[in-house]
Amino acid sequence: MPKGEGLGEFEYLIMLAVLRLGANAYGMRVRQEIATRTGRDVTIGAVYATLERLADKGLLSAAMSDPTPERGGRAKRSFTLTGAGMEAANRARQDLANMLEGLEFPLPGGSQ
Amino acid sequence: MKPPAWAQLVLWAVAGENEAEFVAGDLHEEFLLLCAAEGRSTGSRWYVRQVLRSAATLLGLRFRSGEAAHLVAAALVAVAMPLLLLDRLWSFVYSNIPFKDGLQRAPGFWAANVVCVCVCAAVCGSLARTFVRAMGVALAAAVGAGCALWCSAATAPLFYAGLVILAAPASSMAVFAWRRSR
Repeated sequence: MPKGEGLGEFEYLIMLAVLRLGANAYGMRVRQEIATRTGRDVTIGAVYATLERLADKGLLSAAMSDPTPERGGRAKRSFTLTGAGMEAANRARQDLANMLEGLEFPLPGGSQ
Repeated sequence: MKPPAWAQLVLWAVAGENEAEFVAGDLHEEFLLLCAAEGRSTGSRWYVRQVLRSAATLLGLRFRSGEAAHLVAAALVAVAMPLLLLDRLWSFVYSNIPFKDGLQRAPGFWAANVVCVCVCAAVCGSLARTFVRAMGVALAAAVGAGCALWCSAATAPLFYAGLVILAAPASSMAVFAWRRSR
């Protein structure tokens, strides 16, 4: 795999959040999903920067929806995983599983 | 209920035309949810914190998309360069006049500069496709005009400097609005 094609940790989290949310995966929901599940205080700017980067890599595709009143009359941009995105997510999971194999958790000195 | 106006302005100023609407919509939606759950002051604080912490990232996105390059080009090539070139041309012409009386630029020079800046800024404004981009171009034109005045050889009268700095963004926005209305 060429350098730069792998997924960073935050990119992987974003892709998993998009997968979990399905058709409802847009900036605010992705941010909330990550914040709820990991406890991280993620900013909307970081989420959008990563979503854009993943879309540029061809791992996500974006679709626009009509403006709604609860969004102050603004449109929404939803994301879904592409075929290449599914493949990248599977590969990242496999890499992680391979690296974790044989290790025992929690590690000594760690809290969890 | 609406988020703090100044925070919204900051958001529209830093976010690029590709992201501004979606980011503003997302923040607005979560702001309303937070206001309903924890009150308006908590919602406003959260909104402001999100905007300020996202500002650098959103600006970076704007640079990456090439939008910032357009703004810099508008400021430098279309406004600052013509102003500086006119200033140098006038200096050259002036240096060839024997027994010249005083060092003041003629009023016609200042007027030609204002017209030139307005035309160039208007061309830039006409190229902007969205309101966010047009606002950016207008701001860039004002900054470009200010830089050119600062770098010019002769000291500009205050009235002229103010006129150039205001006329550049005004003409840019006027042409954008005119094009949009057609």
